[in-house]
This record gives sequence, C-alpha cells and structure tokens, in this order.
Amino acid sequence: MALYLIARIDQEVVALPATEIGSVVEVDQIAAVPRVPGHVAGLFALRSRVLTVIDTRASLELGAIDRAAAMTAVIVEHEGHSYALLVDEVEDVIEAGAPDSCPALLPPSWRRAAKGTIRRGEEAILLIDPAVVVAGPEPLAA
Amino acid sequence: MDDLLTDFIAETRETLEALAGEIVAWEADPADKARLDAIFRFVHTVKGSCGFLDLPRLGNLSHAAEDCLAEVRSGNRIPDAALVSAVLAIIDRIGELTDALEANETLPEGEDEFLIAALAKGGNAPAPVEEAAVAKINVLPAATPTRAVSRSIRLPVELLDRMMAGVSDMVLARNELSRLLRTTGNGNATDVAFERLSLCVGEMRDAITRTRMARIEALFSALPRMVRDLSAELGKTVRLEVDGGDVELDREMIEMIRDPLTHIVRNALDHGIEKPEERKAAGKPEIGRLRIGARQSANQILIEVSDDGRGIDGDRVVRKAISAGVVTTEQAAAMSWSRKLDLIFEPGLSTAEQVTGVSGRGVGMDVVRANIERIGGTVDIESNPGQGLRLSLRVPLTLTIIPALTVSTKGTLFAIPRSAIDELVRPKGDQVRLERIGGEQVVFIRGKRLPVVDLGRFMGLTDAVEPSLLVVLRAGGGERYALGVEAVHDHEELVVKPAAPALMASGIYAGTTLPDNSRPMLLLDVAGIAAAANVGRDQEAIEEEPVEQKKAKAALPTLMFRDLDGVMRGVRLSLVERIEDVAIESVVETGGVQMLPLQDKLTRLHSVSALPASERLRVLRLSDGQNALAYAIDQVADVVDVRAELAPSPVAGPIAGVVLHEGNPIELLDPFWLFTHSVTMPANDDSPLCLVADAEDPWAREVLAPLLGAAGYRVAFAGEPNNDRVSVIVTTAAAIPEGIDAPVVRLRGTPDQAGDESIYRYDRDGLLSALRRHVAGGK
Repeated sequence: MALYLIARIDQEVVALPATEIGSVVEVDQIAAVPRVPGHVAGLFALRSRVLTVIDTRASLELGAIDRAAAMTAVIVEHEGHSYALLVDEVEDVIEAGAPDSCPALLPPSWRRAAKGTIRRGEEAILLIDPAVVVAGPEPLAA
Repeated sequence: MDDLLTDFIAETRETLEALAGEIVAWEADPADKARLDAIFRFVHTVKGSCGFLDLPRLGNLSHAAEDCLAEVRSGNRIPDAALVSAVLAIIDRIGELTDALEANETLPEGEDEFLIAALAKGGNAPAPVEEAAVAKINVLPAATPTRAVSRSIRLPVELLDRMMAGVSDMVLARNELSRLLRTTGNGNATDVAFERLSLCVGEMRDAITRTRMARIEALFSALPRMVRDLSAELGKTVRLEVDGGDVELDREMIEMIRDPLTHIVRNALDHGIEKPEERKAAGKPEIGRLRIGARQSANQILIEVSDDGRGIDGDRVVRKAISAGVVTTEQAAAMSWSRKLDLIFEPGLSTAEQVTGVSGRGVGMDVVRANIERIGGTVDIESNPGQGLRLSLRVPLTLTIIPALTVSTKGTLFAIPRSAIDELVRPKGDQVRLERIGGEQVVFIRGKRLPVVDLGRFMGLTDAVEPSLLVVLRAGGGERYALGVEAVHDHEELVVKPAAPALMASGIYAGTTLPDNSRPMLLLDVAGIAAAANVGRDQEAIEEEPVEQKKAKAALPTLMFRDLDGVMRGVRLSLVERIEDVAIESVVETGGVQMLPLQDKLTRLHSVSALPASERLRVLRLSDGQNALAYAIDQVADVVDVRAELAPSPVAGPIAGVVLHEGNPIELLDPFWLFTHSVTMPANDDSPLCLVADAEDPWAREVLAPLLGAAGYRVAFAGEPNNDRVSVIVTTAAAIPEGIDAPVVRLRGTPDQAGDESIYRYDRDGLLSALRRHVAGGK
C-alpha cells in the first residue's frame, strides 16, 4: 500500500505519488517569466524558496489553465529544483495498492504522463508522473 | 598549503573511521572482494594526495600497500593472514602519521621500511622479520600521544545550502515582523528587542556566507609543482612568483577557476616562455618569469597571470583567423590591436603552430573564456610581442551572492549583475542620441555607436517604445550594447540560485533570486541576451568623432562594399538607410533606367554594370532624408572610418572621387550625382517657369531642359504658346524674346572667365544657384 494525492487537472481526477510531493500550497502572486516554454507559468516564492510554477494543462497539451480559478499547487522536487504544479483542486490523500497498467485507450496528451492506474473503491484513477509534467510538452520532431 | 593539508587530514581521518569496520571484516574474510576494493580505494586516494602535498613518508607507505593490494585484486596473490596484518599495519600507520601531521609533530622514522618489507614478502613465507614488524606496530598505537582536538571539519555543501536557506527564511520573517511592528506601533522595549534580533540575524547571515569562503591558496598551491614538472619536461627554466594567496573566494568558485587557470599556466609555459637559448638570443634573462597574483578589487577578484615570454602577435592571430574562416580579410583590416588579440578566444583558433603534449589538446582559450564567463567573470588579454603576455581574470567573489541592479519595464523586474554594467545613461542631448539605422535602433554615446536592445520589446512586454534609460552592458569579449529599460530601482546584493532547466534553456537568464520583498526575480544573462537579440560581434562600436572637431579631420563612417564590377567602393554610412535583398525580377526597366519598387514606390536603381544573373539582388537603399534610391552591389564588406581627404573625380558621375584607406584607394559614391539622377522633383503648376530662349538648340532641349526639370522648374521654349508668368529666362546664344519681363541667366560655352555675368554651361551648381537667386528676387 502506498499513499497517493488525488487532484483534478482539466476536470480529470488524477493521482500523484505522495512520496514525491512536498506540500500543497495556495499560490497567489506569480511573477511572469518572458521567453520561456509555455508550460512555465512563472515563479512563485514559498518563504525563501523560489518555485517554478508549471501550468499542468499546458504541459499536458490540454490548453492553458484558468489562472484566476486555479491557484492550488502541488509542490514537487525534481532534479534539485522545486516546482509548483498548478491543479484545479486537491481532493484527497488515499492509500491504494500498487498501480495497474494504463488503460489502452488514453488520449495522447495523457498517455505521455500516465504511469498506470490506482483504485479508489470502484473507481480507477490515472497515476501521473510529476517529472513528465515538469518537463512539459515534447519538442516537435524536427 | 595549510588549507589543503587540513582538508587532507580531515578527509583521511574521516575515511579511516568509515574504513575501520571494513578492515575488521576483511581480516575475518580476506577473500571479500568488496572490502578489499574499499581498502584499495583508500590507499590509492592517500597516495594521490601525498604526491600532491609532498608527504613522502605517507606516499611510500600507501604506494607499497596499493601495489600489494593490486596484486591481490588481480588474483596474483592470495591474501593470507600475514598480508592482511601487514596491510592493516600500514593503514594504522597512515592514521598515526596523519595525527602527527595535524599536531605538527614528527614520528620517528625508520619503522616504515619494516612495514613495507612485511608486505613485500612472498605470500607463503611469514618471516621472523615480519612478525617483528607486526609486533612493533601493535605496540605503537598505544604509544601514540593523545590526539590534538581537530578544529576543522568537512561538511557537505548541501548542508551549507540548507543553512543558507534557513537564514534567508529568517531574514524574510524578520522583514515581515518589522512591517507588522511598524503598523501596530509598539513600546520602546519591543523595538530594542527587535533591533537585537535583526543584528543577530544579520551576523548569522554573514557567518554562513563566510563558511563558503576559502583562501585562493588552495588554487595556487598546486602551481609550483606543476610549473616545475612542466618546465623540466619542456626544457625551459622558469621562476614562478605567486602572490596574494590569502585572498578569500567562494569554495565552489575556486573549483570553477581551477581548470581555466591551469590551462593558462600551461599555455604560458608551453607557448609563451621561450627556451633558454632563444631567450639569450633575444637579449632576455635565461630564466623565464611567470607571475601569478590575486587581489580583491571592489566586489571582484582579479587574478593576473603574466609572463615575459614571446607574447602573442595579433597579426599572426589574424592571419590564422582568416585562414580558418573566422573573419574575412575586410573585417580583419578594420580591427584594432585588442580586437585582434581577442580572436584567440574564438573557437578553433590556437596560436600554437604545432600541438604539443602539454597544451593544445583541443581545449582552447575559447573554453577558458566560456568557463570564466559562465561564473560571471571576464577575461582580458594584453600582449606585447617579444616582451610578454598578461591575462587578467575577473571573477565575482561568490557564486551565490551577486551585487546587482534591478531594472524594470512594464512593472516586470529583472536583475542585472553589476559586474556587467558599464554605465547608465539617459538618451538626451547631443552626448547620448538614439537613432535608427537600417531599422535597428542604435545609440551614440559620446561619439561611440552601440546597438540597443529594448528590454520591453525583447521580452515581449511592450511594443517598441523609446527607452527612458539605457544600461550600457559588457557582454564579454569587449562587446558592448545598451539595454533600454523603463526604470532603474535598487542596487542590492542578491542571493542567486540556479533557475529550473526550462528557464535556463532560454539562455537569457542566469538564475533566480528573491529580494527582501518576497517577489521572485530573474537575473539576466547579459551575454545570452546579446546572443539572443543578435547583437553581433561585428557590430563593433563605431567611432563617430565629436561634433566640435574640425570637419577636415572628421572620420566619416563609410560603408565599404564590393560593387557589381568587383571593385571595392564606399558610401557614407549616414546615407545608407538599409541593406536589403530583393528579387531581381522585380526590377523594372523603363526608358533605359532601372526602377525598383520599394515600399510601393518606384525607386531608381543604379548599377555600375549589368545586373547579375542570380535570383536575388542585394541593394543599398540610400536616402537623403526626403528621397530614396537603390544601388545594386555584390556584397557588403565592412564599415570603416575614413579620415583621408577625397581626391575629386574629374568627371561628374556616380563616383565622387577616391580616398586612401589604409593604403588602398577606395572609390566613393557621389550621392549628389546619384540623387540628382534619381529624383525628379515633381514640377507642378506652381513651380517657377523657366523659359529657354534657344528653342532650336539640341543642347538646350536634350541637356539643359532635363536638368532644369530635375531641379524642379517648369520648362518652356521660346516661341511656344505660353500664358504663364515667366520667372527666369535662360539663354546661350539666342536673343531674348521680347515682351517678357523676367531676369536673364546667360550661359557660355567655355569654362574661361568671360568678363560678364555669364555662367559656364556645365557649371551646374552655378546655374542652379543663379536660377534660385533670380526666382527668389523676382517674387
């Protein structure tokens, strides 16, 4: 059994492995960063730490997140840097067994980030790899 | 040396402690490969450090143990009990010697040989000597004096970073508390307590910052040995002078400088300093001199490496650069000495004629400069051929705290490292002028032209605006540009951390920082912006002489180009509006003249010969402020300052004359001629009417009339029906038509003075000014 954080991204309920999550915060002021990939929403200061804010929707190529509505962020560490992943809402933290394999028919944008599915009662929830969300859309093949 | 030694002692002791368990386990099971490897690594490390630190006793011991263990590892020897004890004895001995080193004592010599001998014995013959040796060591530890308490410890950098982050948090919390205290208003006692807290936090921040600092000696102490070995290898005699080892620098920074500095020293020894006989022949002392010094100047550390060798010949560098295709001959011709020397920092250029084992192994000065610039430093070079070379490295004190200036455009703040800033100027008046040349914004600051990068436009924050302030930046390699910003705020010391890879990949940011106001800010990468904004290195600051200077001496910036007939020609830069490529099929030919549509208007296209048979044509668009024309060229060569006087061409035509530039005659275009032959002043009904008396004269019809027309006059011929008032009458031989009251301009056919007011008929200027005078007088 492992702990998972359940959140909603683009109305989709997803799970993130709790071991990779530092905390969940409310993001208020995001300092914009010009001339960077679109999934980087800007910078946010959490006490003395500067977090890079990731627009999860843009990262999964689902369009851009509604900045006014989504101000909840999941903090993850990746390769020595801290990131704040903007999500619609954080629902819960649950305990679940090891993830099953992904369903075969996933939209392409989710397929890249999906690591498998976990079960909450009867419901199957997509398990997302935060590293893929941080990395953003794949550059178009040249 | 002290720092290094302390590090070594601490490291050895730490490993020894960790190794203690391994040793016991190995003793129990000598065949255990993993344990053996751990012990082997330890003696190997000690051996390496000893060679470096000049500790022969430790070196001999660890070397012997390493050899022996290597045999065991390769399976040539079976680790028996005797061998294990002998190795352990050596490890114990290393521990004792390390303690002795720290306590500054000397252990009795002589016993080391026994220990080594014990190792060297054949695996299956435990000799009495060995027993004796082992016995001896077993006694020794007991005799060791109580170890002096160590005052030096090793810490992981990560822990330091966490402490730093903790203090930064404290500073922010303090600031917030301070704001709250101000708004609520408190008693004196609270203020005093708060002041004390502030002071403590400040001191702690300083102390933690200092934990990252080390003396630059750690970098310099390896040099004497390196210089000695290298010069011996190269057959040179070199005296090394090291100075300023007590300057303190960020530990991480020291590591970043190590490779570039080593490279520079190698270069100096290999290519700089000559062999003794060569030096003698050149009248220099046989012993070469290499000086390395460090000192702190403001918030930078200056490291200078100078030698008295043969120096670098800028012209030779240029020749190499030309043959390597790094620069063109034309560019090279316009280069100053320091620009020529700067070429050695270009990738793929090594001044060494041959690659030796010492340097020239593919790591060039370009890598040196790249490394130094990556940590926010600069490299400067001064060369005196035959006399020596001096390289100056300027690096910030620390990687993490950078004095920076905050600027903003449209409310977005950015930090710029102070070290990259030359000056701040406001575009106002004659000293600082903003201009547009060929669509690009440039600024003339006290006569120097610099490209302008508008921060707002570059960052996509605003459309083009006239920047209210310009920050003149050095992008490295002597290249400068002006960054246009809306406002300049603070000058503060910022704790800079690397930004996330997605941000760093943009190439224009050097890191993130969090000022006291808790709003994250990005530190700009000055060189990166120059590259991203395409502020090319070719756009070298062009000197424009101050306006007060006498005209005769004024250096006129001149654009040099290769004309269609292959001849190098020049045109005054101020006339060149832009250089553009057009499709050759868009050229229209009408009535023997070529026209080119530019911005929806047909513009006269001049060309010295037939247009090339290519698809694209490169044209210079010249403008006199009102009228434009195009001039077809082959390619642009350079922009140079021409100071020489013009030798006027004897015939009027597209070439005004010839100037000497660096010994080569260069033809200059005659803008006057070009414009008079391109511009047809639209003569309208209000234009003054010029009556030409010589109605039958072909010259008057074919030559004079077009000239008058081009000058903006309506032309009428005598005898033609005409109801308008005639402003002026022009005549050569014909009689003046009667009944017309207008001033008369007489032309004559010869250039000699005729004694009257007549004007030579090819004196265009004289004729036109006379016409103007009369027309103006008649009104």
